[in-house]
Amino acid sequence: MRGCLLTERNRVNEEELKEVEIIVEPGQGQAELNIGPQHPGSGHMRLVAKIRGDIVEELVLDPGYVHRSVEKLCENRHYMHLIPLVERPTIIDSIHMNMGYIMAVEKIMNLEVPERALYLRSFAAEVNRISSHLYGLGILGIFIGHSTMFMWGFADREPFVEILQNLTGARITNSYVVPGGVRRDLSQSVKEFAIKAVSYLRKKIKDYENIFLNNPNVRARLENVGVISREKAIELGLVGPNLRASGVPYDVRKIEPYAAYQKLDFEIPVYKEGDAFARTLVRMEEVQQSMNMIMQIIKEIPEGEILNQRILKQIPPQRIKKWYEEQKRIVFPGYFASMRPPKGDAISRVEASRGELVYYVVSDGSSIPYRVRMITPSYMLIKPFMEIAKGHRIADIPAIYGSLDYFPPEADR
Amino acid sequence: MIELSVLDEIIYYILRPEFFVPVIFPGLITSMILLLITIWAERKIAAKVQLRFGPLLISPRIGGLLQLIADLLKFVFSEIIVPARAFKALYILGPALLLSTSLLPLVVIPISTSIHYSLYVIGNNGAYVPIYVNFSLIAALALSMLTPIMVIMTAWATNNRFAVVGALREGFLMITYDVLLIMSAFSMAIIYGGVDLFGFVNFQSSHYLGILMNPISAFVFLVAMLLGSSRYPFEIVEADTEIVIGPYTEYSGLLFILTMGGSYIKTFVYSILFSVIFLGGWLPFSGGIGALFTVFKAIIILLFSVFLRSVYGRYRIDQALRGAWKLMFLLAIISMVLSFIWRWFLVA
Repeated sequence: MRGCLLTERNRVNEEELKEVEIIVEPGQGQAELNIGPQHPGSGHMRLVAKIRGDIVEELVLDPGYVHRSVEKLCENRHYMHLIPLVERPTIIDSIHMNMGYIMAVEKIMNLEVPERALYLRSFAAEVNRISSHLYGLGILGIFIGHSTMFMWGFADREPFVEILQNLTGARITNSYVVPGGVRRDLSQSVKEFAIKAVSYLRKKIKDYENIFLNNPNVRARLENVGVISREKAIELGLVGPNLRASGVPYDVRKIEPYAAYQKLDFEIPVYKEGDAFARTLVRMEEVQQSMNMIMQIIKEIPEGEILNQRILKQIPPQRIKKWYEEQKRIVFPGYFASMRPPKGDAISRVEASRGELVYYVVSDGSSIPYRVRMITPSYMLIKPFMEIAKGHRIADIPAIYGSLDYFPPEADR
Repeated sequence: MIELSVLDEIIYYILRPEFFVPVIFPGLITSMILLLITIWAERKIAAKVQLRFGPLLISPRIGGLLQLIADLLKFVFSEIIVPARAFKALYILGPALLLSTSLLPLVVIPISTSIHYSLYVIGNNGAYVPIYVNFSLIAALALSMLTPIMVIMTAWATNNRFAVVGALREGFLMITYDVLLIMSAFSMAIIYGGVDLFGFVNFQSSHYLGILMNPISAFVFLVAMLLGSSRYPFEIVEADTEIVIGPYTEYSGLLFILTMGGSYIKTFVYSILFSVIFLGGWLPFSGGIGALFTVFKAIIILLFSVFLRSVYGRYRIDQALRGAWKLMFLLAIISMVLSFIWRWFLVA
């Protein structure tokens, strides 16, 4: 009954090898289970579970496995070059990651965004929210062994990724939002494709309800698992759908409207239960709300420019003629790389798919930001995950993990 | 006087159930081929539900059937890594023991009546079974209950924490599904008034099929079978997102194939038992075609049990145990009562 960890004894002699180690810690009955980072249910993260029998007594998260020092890289790149960089932490939610950064830069530069561009930003963001939520629901499905939800989630995400591809030219790393507007205009074919995709998913939602949400097996796995009360959720600083599943109607789109959200009709789904199932339902309903918003935007989007006049005037007329007037695309000339916002700092908040995303950008007047700070929603989940996993079973760890929709690269940045 | 050729003699000895059943049909060779086809079918059925194509890269004309052969070859030639801290003898023996013990119940399960070949009548006591015992139901269940011991032993020998957690789960489930299997099988034995599988099929031919006489018992048996062979929604022992692949976490290469095959073959053997007890086995045929028909029914059950993958997720161990003891155990008792009523009805 020796209970020391394998790492403590790298060199073992032949005598010791003959004995088979038992995992119980001496005198405690507590064992340590090292889940990840290379594990089918851990994502890019290491979870150290201290277990007694099947019960998790303590769960320690060890994030940082996919840390790419995005914040530090931001201090060494030009403002324009940061657009593709800041979306890398959450490539499946890149519109939001982009928009937050650009909104902060626009505040420093005091740039107005044309109405049409605001609508387009909302459009892209909601399409992105749907694809991101379906991704998260799919991951939750496979975490509790439901492979059909996994495959459906990923398959039905595809039309929405396709919309983004038709709109922006890229499937996931869109770099769509630029200072003063957006990069491409909404064409008639994209509109038609979006309408088709929305009507397809609206039909498909019923299938989701039948096979996943009303499946007794799924309900048994998710109901009353990982419950976070309203008070606890506020105390732990939860954000986004997870907060709304605990009964707090907080959404940046409502409280501090950005883009075109002031003009859009939408509700924010709120559930009181605070368990894994409520979090799943919130995501599912947000998908439906996003679909409504997409339809509304397609109907109501005003005509006009898609880039601020101040910026547009700085683009050479040949480029405007070739790209903007013919193809409705903004192609910046190379000198935009050395764009110098004035001295100052700005903070911006957007409601990303996983919750509130905060950017703080400090400019010292040069073409490189002095500091870019991003507070990502997944980062806010580390502490709650550790707290609520206590007392649950080993099998609940993936269920809680999936229901929180934690995205390790987003937390690690 | 008819002369018997040497070929007939050889065929006679090959067709003897003592050799034919465990080694060729439905034993090792058939079940190995069936294993590949089942995994392929499982992937194809799941793909159909899940808006995909399933295996298609290798041999697209026959729906990627050869993909499994390619996977098998890949596994056969990959390195078998024995962890330094494993108990080596058991680590290597374990998968082989697991596979062979999961095939073991076949030696007492009759799969048909005796086969007529040339002048020979091949079989034991009129049944096509390697060893004829008049308590074959008990013997088959008892032999099928050897596998959990091998699973736990294997997990212990690998000395991996996920494996030990998986083995503990297997241990908990073993106690549960054994009880359910025995109770549902015995409630059928009550109707028949004996524990002889061969006699029971003959009884079904003169009365009704087992599943019609006692559907509750059939349901309990099916659920216990899913519990016992780690199929969805009770894929608890090998839960990959929780404990990697449970007791077999450390295995690679050919040994991994053996462990994985063991669980599928266990499902197959349970399916044969199900087809004999509840679906009338070889009825309405007999002899060689009867044996094929028994296995055909078993394959349907097998495919149904692998199809559940695309409908359900997996239950938690405590939910599975609670459901088994609170609901299934109750149903098993009800099925026994139903069987007593049937028995009373039949005797009267």
